[in-house]
Amino acid sequence: MITNPVPNPAAVARQWFLAHSDLDDLIQALRKAGRIVIGPTVRDGAIVNDEIQSAADLPAGVRDEQTAGRYRLAERSDERVFGYTVGPTPWKRFTFPPILPIATAHVSGSFGFEQPKIVAPQLAFLGVRACEIAALGMQDRVFLGSPFTDEDFRARRKAALIVAVQCTTCSSTCFCSSMGTGPEVRGGYDILLTEIDEGFVVQAGSPAGAAIVAHLPTRRPTHAETGAAVDVVEAVRTQIGEPLPIAGIDQRLKRQLDNPRWSVVAERCVECGNCTMSCPTCFCTSVTERSDMEGRTSVTERQWDSCFDVNFARVAGGDFRARPRDRYRQWLTHKFSTWMDQFGSFGCVGCGRCITWCPVQIDVREELQAIAPVIQPIERPVAVEPVAASPGRYSLARLASVKEETEDTTTLSLTDLDPAFLGGRPGQFVMVALPAFPAVPISISRFRSNGNDLTIRAVGPTSTALVNLHPGAKVGVRGPLGTFWPIEDAYGRHAVVVAGGVGLSPLHGLVEALVANRDRFESVSLYYGSRTPEDQLFRDDLVAWSAGKSIDVAVTVDRAGPEWKGRVGVVTTLFDMMSCDCSRITAFVVGPERMMQASVQSLISKGVPPERINVSMERHMECGIGLCGHCQTGPYFVCKDGPVFRLSELGDLYVREGI
Amino acid sequence: MDDYAAVIAMLNHTWFGAELAPETQERLARLGDIQDFEVDEVILHEGDETRAMGILVSGRLALRTLVPERGPVTILSVEPGDIFGWSAVLNDGQAQSTVVATEASRALVIDGVKLRAALKEDHALAASLYPRVLKAVARRLRATRLQLLDLFAR
Repeated sequence: MITNPVPNPAAVARQWFLAHSDLDDLIQALRKAGRIVIGPTVRDGAIVNDEIQSAADLPAGVRDEQTAGRYRLAERSDERVFGYTVGPTPWKRFTFPPILPIATAHVSGSFGFEQPKIVAPQLAFLGVRACEIAALGMQDRVFLGSPFTDEDFRARRKAALIVAVQCTTCSSTCFCSSMGTGPEVRGGYDILLTEIDEGFVVQAGSPAGAAIVAHLPTRRPTHAETGAAVDVVEAVRTQIGEPLPIAGIDQRLKRQLDNPRWSVVAERCVECGNCTMSCPTCFCTSVTERSDMEGRTSVTERQWDSCFDVNFARVAGGDFRARPRDRYRQWLTHKFSTWMDQFGSFGCVGCGRCITWCPVQIDVREELQAIAPVIQPIERPVAVEPVAASPGRYSLARLASVKEETEDTTTLSLTDLDPAFLGGRPGQFVMVALPAFPAVPISISRFRSNGNDLTIRAVGPTSTALVNLHPGAKVGVRGPLGTFWPIEDAYGRHAVVVAGGVGLSPLHGLVEALVANRDRFESVSLYYGSRTPEDQLFRDDLVAWSAGKSIDVAVTVDRAGPEWKGRVGVVTTLFDMMSCDCSRITAFVVGPERMMQASVQSLISKGVPPERINVSMERHMECGIGLCGHCQTGPYFVCKDGPVFRLSELGDLYVREGI
Repeated sequence: MDDYAAVIAMLNHTWFGAELAPETQERLARLGDIQDFEVDEVILHEGDETRAMGILVSGRLALRTLVPERGPVTILSVEPGDIFGWSAVLNDGQAQSTVVATEASRALVIDGVKLRAALKEDHALAASLYPRVLKAVARRLRATRLQLLDLFAR
């Protein structure tokens, strides 16, 4: 593996000054040393890297203007020669040629294969930027970092002398500071130039570089000159602006393989491959055979290829990446995710070429933010300290009243509760126990000034015993437990509550809170589905909420007799009524898991952000404090970390079979 | 605003008609007749030949099927913007359920023969309408599957 030149501390400490008028001496010194000098020069309206003969070939007084899909040259107000950022030519063109013969076959009686002799010209790269040095290092890891190495690359890399240049300007497309590759050059060079008004502050990074510098008409720089050299780079960092939140994006992308944004960006992408061809790190190739007319000699050539090519993943039986979105996802996830697995770093240096040279202005930074944004954990208010938290300890409450909601569901109003229960929040639950019955978790359906309501469906021994209690009976309670609905997350937004069956119970307190604070929300809607009209909970409240007109209430049932004049159909059919900007919805969803899944899919397809969808999960809960393990779901204990979760927190765990 | 203008305005507010080209909306509106239905009026009987397809403008319809010993069961309601009698796009379409108005309703009703002829002759209309009819049928299929799962049962 090529190791980038490590500056000798003594040499680094040493700095020289080279006047603008003497820059040609550097180029001629390199040429006298037997090197072909590859440097920036203006051609076809761009600054490209190609062979130069003298300083006259450099782009003096030229700057570039780069934005997504646009590159233009313009005049500078001075005569600086490196006063631009990066052009369309990556340096890999000279270390990893676009077309390289790798074998020749001769057919003459018998046949055989010959490998071409490796010829690596002695080159000097003039004007290499920090991001481009990082790119060369990345290709070192690709081609030389495994047991199978590319000897042609090794030879070309070894034969190249690097004259780096500090960036003194940046483009809107630059994001090297996000990728940790720039803007300042920190190593990997033989000679380093920092251009200031009067000339260049020069440093040597290797003995070969120092030997060249020794032949130049330099002098000691003044303090002002070395200070200016530092300031100019720092100014570029400031100009680039705040770095993107790149940390962890490799893992975030892995969780977004089904993100609908892949299809959106693929509709724009024309698959021209400009991004991969201009990228300084992309290394995909294909091998082609070229034969003479008689078929006596066949040359095998390796050519740059692009994962955007429609045939890049094709096999005899079909194409593994047949859709444009598959190919875009392959490219982006390789650059920012799987490259990390393969080579221990990102595959992007932030040079911005893929943005500038994209004819349809796709900006990789925007796509990363849209596909795999950092989910800022929204601070939840601190939950009240639960009462009798330890399993087996219960606080006693008295049953004040009983109300039958449906044939099998009853609301118990508890009173004489410990004050902590009154401080609970909608979404939380309590463990309820009766002597000789196992404790069960029950959502708090209403917070009264003097007690809590629990709405219980009789499905087992404990719940059946509870719904058969009479006023005055005592029950044991622990709580309030678990997380609660982040109502603050809906402030200024459209609050949408989706309930199915008895799922309205843990949402009932939330709806009351939304109604009580109605002016804090742009709109409030409740969509409620039940099996039949007779299975609807809280019918009086539904009527009152509808009559109040401060919130929109829509109900539907799965089936009904002819006497029912309302809607019939699953709850997701109610979403047709949504007329607001769905990206501004904060949703709260509870119901049977399959119903929640259908609702969530429908909400996402309408544009509701997953981090704005809250669900309450039902699991087997016994201890209520994350110690018994029954409710573990991936890294979470639902009783302690839930039951209320943001969908984005659950990720792939949500409605995953077997979890 | 005349009735047809009202129908076009309504189409613009529904998933069925929102992205139809204006000329297609106009063509559809002109193909049909606007009809009003009273509460409990039966518009179509299950098993009968579907002679027309309707786009509900206002009100509510119930799609009912007869279950022996249980009587008529409403399996789906049709809300404004949705369609009924979709099988009229087929030559031998039969009504899959009985369609009853559960509220005073108004619909754009398109004769099946005229509709099929228009779809055959006007490819742009067909290219716009068929996917929407298919989507309507797919929505019902999906909803029916979820109902079959009886999610709210114990």
